[in-house]
This record gives sequence, structure tokens and C-alpha cells, in this order.
Amino acid sequence: MKKMHIIAIVVIAVALAVIVSTISNSSTYAPFRDAMNHQGSTFHIVGKVNKSKDFIYNPEVNANLFGFYLIDNEGTEKKVLYDGAKPQDFERAEQIVIIGKMEGDEFHASQVLMKCPSKYNGNQADQMKVASISTK
Amino acid sequence: MEIQYVGEHLSYGKLGNGFIVLSFTAALLSAISFLISVYRKKDDKAVWLKIARMSFAMHAISVFSVIGILFFLIHGHFFEYYYVWQHSSTILPVKYMFACFWEGQEGSFLLWTFWHVILGAIIIRKGSEWESPVMVTVMLIQVFLASMILGLTFYGIKIGSNPFILLRNHPDFANLPFIHLPEYLSKIKDGRGLNPLLQNYWMVIHPPTLFLGFASTAIPFAFAMAGLMVGKVREWVKPALPWAFFSVMILGTGVLMGGAWAYEALSFGGFWAWDPVENASLVPWLTLVGAAHVMLINKKNGSSLVSSFILTTLTFLLVLYSTFLTRSGILGNTSVHAFTDLGMSGQLLLYMVFFVFMAIALLIYNRKKINPLQEEEKIQSREFWMFMGMLVLVISAVQITITTSIPVINKIVGSKMAPPANAIDFYNSWQIPLAVVISLLIAIGQFFKWRDSNMKDVIKKIALSFIISILVTALLEYSFRFERYQYIMLLFSSIWAFVANFDYLIRIIKGKLPFSGASIAHMGIALILLGSLISNTEKTIISRNMLNVDLGKDFSNKENILLYRNDTLAMGEYYVTYKGKEKVGVNIYYEIEYFKANHETGKLDKAFSLKPLVQINDRMGNVSEPATKRFINRDIYTHITYAELEDKNAPVDDGEYKKPSTKTLSVGDTIITSNSLVTFMSLNKSQDKKSLFLEDTDIAVGAQLSVVDVNRKVHLAQPIFIIKGSNIYTKESEITELGLKFGFSKILPDSNKIELTIFEKKSNSREFVIMKAIIFPDINILWIGAILMIIGTWLAIVKRIKDLKISK
Repeated sequence: MKKMHIIAIVVIAVALAVIVSTISNSSTYAPFRDAMNHQGSTFHIVGKVNKSKDFIYNPEVNANLFGFYLIDNEGTEKKVLYDGAKPQDFERAEQIVIIGKMEGDEFHASQVLMKCPSKYNGNQADQMKVASISTK
Repeated sequence: MEIQYVGEHLSYGKLGNGFIVLSFTAALLSAISFLISVYRKKDDKAVWLKIARMSFAMHAISVFSVIGILFFLIHGHFFEYYYVWQHSSTILPVKYMFACFWEGQEGSFLLWTFWHVILGAIIIRKGSEWESPVMVTVMLIQVFLASMILGLTFYGIKIGSNPFILLRNHPDFANLPFIHLPEYLSKIKDGRGLNPLLQNYWMVIHPPTLFLGFASTAIPFAFAMAGLMVGKVREWVKPALPWAFFSVMILGTGVLMGGAWAYEALSFGGFWAWDPVENASLVPWLTLVGAAHVMLINKKNGSSLVSSFILTTLTFLLVLYSTFLTRSGILGNTSVHAFTDLGMSGQLLLYMVFFVFMAIALLIYNRKKINPLQEEEKIQSREFWMFMGMLVLVISAVQITITTSIPVINKIVGSKMAPPANAIDFYNSWQIPLAVVISLLIAIGQFFKWRDSNMKDVIKKIALSFIISILVTALLEYSFRFERYQYIMLLFSSIWAFVANFDYLIRIIKGKLPFSGASIAHMGIALILLGSLISNTEKTIISRNMLNVDLGKDFSNKENILLYRNDTLAMGEYYVTYKGKEKVGVNIYYEIEYFKANHETGKLDKAFSLKPLVQINDRMGNVSEPATKRFINRDIYTHITYAELEDKNAPVDDGEYKKPSTKTLSVGDTIITSNSLVTFMSLNKSQDKKSLFLEDTDIAVGAQLSVVDVNRKVHLAQPIFIIKGSNIYTKESEITELGLKFGFSKILPDSNKIELTIFEKKSNSREFVIMKAIIFPDINILWIGAILMIIGTWLAIVKRIKDLKISK
């Protein structure tokens, strides 16, 4: 057996290890239902912020605790507690992704990923619609 | 009836569209003519070459004109054009005009096209035997890029997204009623403007560099394809080498600039966050470095030819793939700064598939010529270790690509995988060991001679740097005390990579500049690794919040701290005060002063002051930008995570209390008010009932409260719970100095708890900011590394160009 063959086998083995580790370390996009059935496991949940309910943020008490209500794609609403300061401009967030786990009836998020509709070339026409209505 | 719109300037758009179509057709004509000229002889060849060059010139003029017109429209605020409305506004400073230009996808494709034109012009100017076959591929790429901005619809299939589309024709607007009024334009007062996140000088310099990097990867690929087209399967490597290193330098600079930008202006709180968009530009760089090294091997001894083909092609395809990832919208939820889909993913895929097939077909056609050398590389040869290095780079690229591509995998197999919950740790767990191997190879590689070397000789040469590095590592480990063996390994290997290359530079090259490119570039890489290791693992968040009660392991984040205006808190070795805010234009600057304790005078001396900002933009939302104080050996990063933006300094009626809050407490419990800590000490049952006008049969119980204010002064309060006959009421207790009032409203005998009502005066809520402060030690090592890497690569390019001239 030549050196190059041994090396090739090692490279293939490492590549397989990469694939296996990626799959085994990956999290899952899921609705709250799954997160509730697997308490304590980490999930990514995509949903919309319920803006009719108040945000919970009392920086004077705890600057690193922010709470809000999220409605997932199946329509389930849960209280989410985020371990961090209230993200700048959270009021504008539409669709967001939260990463964390369910603890009882609350979702404990370690990360909140926001995508504002107006940022990064989203659907800007919404604002123009508002503007055009107000000029009438 | 056709509506006559008022105030539109349609001729510019028509002219621009004309040039877009011309740039497309001229590129196609040029590609075909270059191709024909490859296979013709003498006079015939000269004619076709002339046609090809003329059409290239026409293509170049068209591209410049499209760019010029788009600039003109942005500069003149012609908001009837969607692109202008979408990316610029009248209040935007002129210096960001460029940034507006390439903020959108169409503009960035134009930028990319522009660089290919420049690079193509250089190749034509040199006019070597390689001109025609290389330009075939370059112009084919241009055909595809030009099609990205065509914006034509054939049989219902949209090809490209046109930068000159009118606002009133854009799908987002076409259905709005006001857009069909003849004077609609007068209703559009201003454009949407440039995303405030992007309003800084990085947005002016980073995209051109990155796109030049992307564009330059096409040249080694075009050379590889050219070699296959003309059957010179080995000869292409030599002239392509300087281009490969040029690409390594520029793309590397672009990637590092991205990191520097993230570090300086974005709120990641670090240099590299393994964001999909960052990864998408890093991966082609890794394979490109691999490609450049196997090409070097090939130039020296003729081996690694297949690897050279594979890696140059792979690099180019990965650039296309990264474009696909960032522009197809497929990253969607995994990245914060991807473009959204403009419906061009199909086109981008087609583009990739075309070049994959082109490369495979040409390789198969030439398969007999590319028979690998039968001779094995010796383990004592430099090429063997370089080849190993390339393999490690490829593994690194594969790992990053697979993890970044999870959304793509989901799309293909219909799974619902999400990136690892802690993506940064996951990437690091793979990339740190790989970086260790790479830096060990960097350390020893050059001490091997090409083809064969005497092992004893090699060991003798590397022994010195090895011993020095062990000592330096031990010394640094003594101060850092890394516990993870991965960090210790990277500490050692990167130090060794630096010392060994320095040693090689001094003892073997003897400091001769023309030959020192590799050593200097490798020293640079070593410092980049060392700098990121130290600054990342040793960063300390000094804004630790010690006041809050621990809410369990899910809520252990204490990174952000609340700072009242004019209050001073200790952070690390500093004392930090929030002085106030100032509004300049759309930016609100928060003045944060850092003091240091002077042990002689016992006073606080001002050290420096930072002004992190929050930018208010009605259309796009608020963006916070950190400020960083730089020292030689560390940076102090300060970021406003949250601040109330409206002014709170308006006078408030002093007598007014806010809505009271109610708390249930056991003895010993502590609660927090805006200006104090309140502890429920004990119940006091022995009240002087006479002074309360009570009978002996009535009940009066006091709650003894200890109230500690921010100056650590202790106040006492005792609200009293009273049952008189059948009536229950409370005697409140007030601390006027703190604007606090307490009521004792209930006793819960079952749980041994009481209910306390807390009143706070409105004037108590003072203005505050929530901030985060991080010290990044020794990040300058990283920047010095980056500069060395660029200088070293530049020297290598110069050397390769000289080699080319000598061999002629």
C-alpha cells in the first residue's frame, strides 16, 4: 500500500467524521409542541412576536432578562424568556428565530435572531403603503 | 389611455438598459471570437482576435456606462428608479454614494463585472499566447454576470434583475393606487436610504476588495481551462501562479476586512462569529491557498497536477456557491446579513452547473495527457508536507461548508435541521485542531528541501525554534493558564510557526527580501491565529452584573449592566460613569467616562471617554454601534445594549408616585427598587398601640425593613399592618430622602409571608443605559499578522512575476 492510499483513507475518515458530527450536533427547527414534548432539549423555533401583549423588561431590576410572547408557525403561543438585554429595536421584529429549550410552560432562549422586514432589502413597500395612505 | 407621468427622467434608464443589453451581447461575441481564435492559425487567428478584442472593448465601455449612469441617477436622486429609491436618500452624505451603489444585488453584480473587465484588460494587454484561451472563460463568466442584470422576461422566465426598473413598475408598487396618479413622483419625498448599519467607511472599502478577490479567483480557473483547451495541460500553471497568489492576497484582505468591520462597527462583540456570510468568503480562500500551494509543487517537480486542476476549479465554484448562498435567500433564518431572494437562484445554479460541466468535459477530453506521475513524493520532501497542508485546508473548508450548508441540505432532502445551537463552539471544536496542524506544518515545511532532504539536517535546523517556542509557550501559559489542551496546543503551534519562519528568514534566507515572501506571509498567518486565540479566549467582560439574583443556569448572563446617569460603577480595574447623551443628526452618542483609581491621592483620575452610539432611523430601525478604546496591548470595547431614547429630563412633579408594586416576602428576602435594596428583616409585634390610637384588643404588626441606597447608607422603615375591630388598614412608612414609601397590606400566616406595597416617586426613575464592556487583550497581534500576511504574499507575487520573466 502506498503512502498516498493511507492518506486518502485518513482524509475520507475525517470527512465522514465531519458529516457525522454536523448531523449529530445540529439542532432542529420545530414548533413549540416538539419543544414541550422534549423538555430540556435545544430547539430552534421560528415564529412571530405577539405585539398585542406587553414585553417584559425591567432593566432596573434585571438588565439581562427580557420576556415576550411568541406565536409559532402552528399558532401556539408561549412566553419566552431571553437571557440577555432587550434587543435594540425589538418592536419592529416580525419573524424571529429563538434558540433554547422549554422549561415547564416557558421557553428559555439563549439566543434571539431578528430579521426586521425593512432591513436587508425586505418588503419595503409596506412602509410606502403606510406613507401613501397618510397623505390622502 | 396612457398616463402622462410628471417629472420622470426616462431617457437615462433607456440608455442604461441599452448598455446592459450591449454588454451582454458584446461579451457573448467576445467569448465566441476568442474561442474561434484559439483554434485558427495565423491571419485567420489575427482577424478573430481583433474581433474578440474589439467586442471586449465594447463590453468594457458598456459596463462602465451602466455603472456611470447608475451613479448619475443615485447622485441626482432620481427616485422614479426603484434602485435609487431603495438604496439612497437625499440626506445621505455624498461619501456614501458608492456604498448605495453596491448595497443592492444589481450593483454588487456590476462591481464584480467591473473587476473582471479590469483583470481581462490586463491579460489582453500582456497579449501572450494565453490571451485567447484564458479570455474565453473570462468572457463566458461575463456573459453570465451580465445576464444577472438583464431583467428580461422570456416565455414567462425572468432573467436577471434590472437596476433601471422604474418604481411604478416594480411589483412592490405596481398595485398601489397612488402610483398611478400622474403626479405620483411628487408624493415620493425621499428614498429609503442606505441601511444605517452600512453607513460607515467599511462599506466603502470592503465590498470592492472582496469582489476583486472573488473576481480574481476566476483567473487561475480560466488558466486551468485554457491549458485544457489548447492541450497544454502542464504549462498553464506557471503563468497562473502570480494570479493565484494575487487572489490569495486580495481575497484574504477582503475576508480580514470583513472581520475587522464586524469587530469595529457591528455588535457581535468579536472578530469572527462564524456567520454563514463570513464563512462563504472564507471557504474559497482556504481552497485557494491550497490551490496556490499545489501549483507551486507542480511548478517545482511536475506532480500534483490533478490537485491543481481540482482546487482552482473548486475555488471558483465555491465563489459561485457562496454567491448562491448569500443571494438566494436560502440562508434565511441562519444569517443576519444575507440578501433576500430576487428570484435569481435558478440562474445562479445554472451558472454553476455550466462551469462544472465545462471543467469536467475538458478534463475528460484531456485525461490521457494528465496521467499522474508514478513516482511517489518522499516523506522528507517539502512537497509532501505542502500537500498535507493542502489536505488539511480542504478538510477545514469541507467542515465549514457542510455546517453552513445546513439550510441547503434541508431544501434538498426536506429535513428540518437547524445549525448547532452553539454554532461558534461547534466550529471551534473542529477548526482549532485543524489550525494546530496547519501551523505545525507552517513551522516545519520550509526546512525541508524540495524532493528530498536529510532528516538529521532538518531536525538540527528546526531544533532551535522548537526549544525557543516551548519556552515562550510555557511563559505565556503561566500567565494565561489555559485549561483546554486545544488552546495550549494552538498557543504552542502558532508561536512555533512564527518563530520557525522568523528563524528561516534570518538564518537561511539571510533577510533577502525577494525570497522572504513565504516566510513573512506564514509569520503573518501564525500571528493571526495567535492573536485570535488570545483575544478570544482571554477577553473579559468587565461589565459583570453582580447585583442580580441568579436565576438558574439558563439565565446566567450577567454581561450587561445598568448604569444610571452620573453614577459610577467599578468595572474591572476601571470606574465607569455615564455622563449623558448628545444627539447629532440621527445618531445619539452616549458619553461613557472611564476612570482609574489613583492610589496616591485616593481619587479617581479620568482615563478616557468613549462615545458608543445608537442610530435612529425611522425607516430601518435603530442600530447600536460600539466604541472601542485602543491601547497597544488591549482594546476596551463599549456597547450600548439598551437605552431609553426619549428624553427623561423633563421636570416631573415631585409629589407624584408611580403605580405601586406589590411583593410577597419572607423574612430575609431582598427586593430591588430603582435606587436601593430593601431587605425584610423581621416582624415587630410590640407596637406602641396608644400612639396609633388603638385599643389593646386591636392588632398592629410592623415590618422592619432595611433600605440600603446606592451610597451604601442604611435607612430603616417600618410600615405597620393594623386590624382595628373588623377593619384592616396599613400605616405607611416613608423615606423622603429616597422618594420611597412602603405599605404593609397583608399577612399570609400559612406560608409565613407578608405582602408589601412599594411606592416610588416618579422622579426616582433616572435616566440610564444598559451597556456591555469587554476587554480584548492583544488583538493588535492579529492586525499585525494580517499586515504581514499581505506584505508577504505581495513579495511572493513579485517573485513569481520575476521568475516568469527570467524563464522567458
